[in-house]
Amino acid sequence: MNDIAFILIVFFLVCASVEPEDGRSQTIPRSEKNEERNNSQTIEVGLTPATVTIDGTPYHQEQFESRIQQLLSEKKTESERVVVVKSQADVPYEHWIATTELIEKAGGVVTLLLEEQHTMIVE
Amino acid sequence: MILRRKQLEASVPSMAMGDIAFLLLIFIVLLARARDDSHLVWQPATGTELVKPANQNASVVIDKQNITYLNGRPTLSENLATELSALLGDLPPGNRTVLFKVHKDVIAEFFEPAIEAVSEAGGELHHVLEPSPNKPN
Repeated sequence: MNDIAFILIVFFLVCASVEPEDGRSQTIPRSEKNEERNNSQTIEVGLTPATVTIDGTPYHQEQFESRIQQLLSEKKTESERVVVVKSQADVPYEHWIATTELIEKAGGVVTLLLEEQHTMIVE
Repeated sequence: MILRRKQLEASVPSMAMGDIAFLLLIFIVLLARARDDSHLVWQPATGTELVKPANQNASVVIDKQNITYLNGRPTLSENLATELSALLGDLPPGNRTVLFKVHKDVIAEFFEPAIEAVSEAGGELHHVLEPSPNKPN
């Protein structure tokens, strides 16, 4: 009985250790803060829970894919291919990962634009 | 009258050995589970062309309740960069992989600072995803 229990436990251990780890590697350069950003050449992708915009123009998923490919094909250097992704606070991860996947497939380098939070105490 | 000395037999109880091994194994399993993140509840987002990471040096999980964990232990997102830097130390590029496991419905308010922290600590981000059901992987 002990041997059976032992083998069962080893079996469960092996099963538990096989966790899914497949995924996508991503190199994110240091994020840009609002006031530091002054390169007008950079493409800016805006994300809300329901929409995707490129430099303020909204696109459907299929249109976005072709438009970003077109824009990035015109860029020669890696620094030009940086795409700034600015997400609203309520954008779900699933939407974000799908959009950044399209950008990276098109040859873009994703960087984040984070809103800086300042706390002001008024006396 | 001659009284024979009673021969005492000293033997190791072999039946108990199995029980001891069993308890030891459970103890080791419990210790191991306290260190990993398999007990956390999260559902991966989907993706295509997924690859396995070459290695893994740390794991960051954001679960259903938007709680951030580093190697299975809860942490604050503002401390994540410092803790990751300490964990990754001076490891060479290529050996600084951070598995990033985020529940699919977690919002940007929680996952973007974590991505920023990984980037700040010099970690190499690997989003853990599941294959998309309708697209070829």
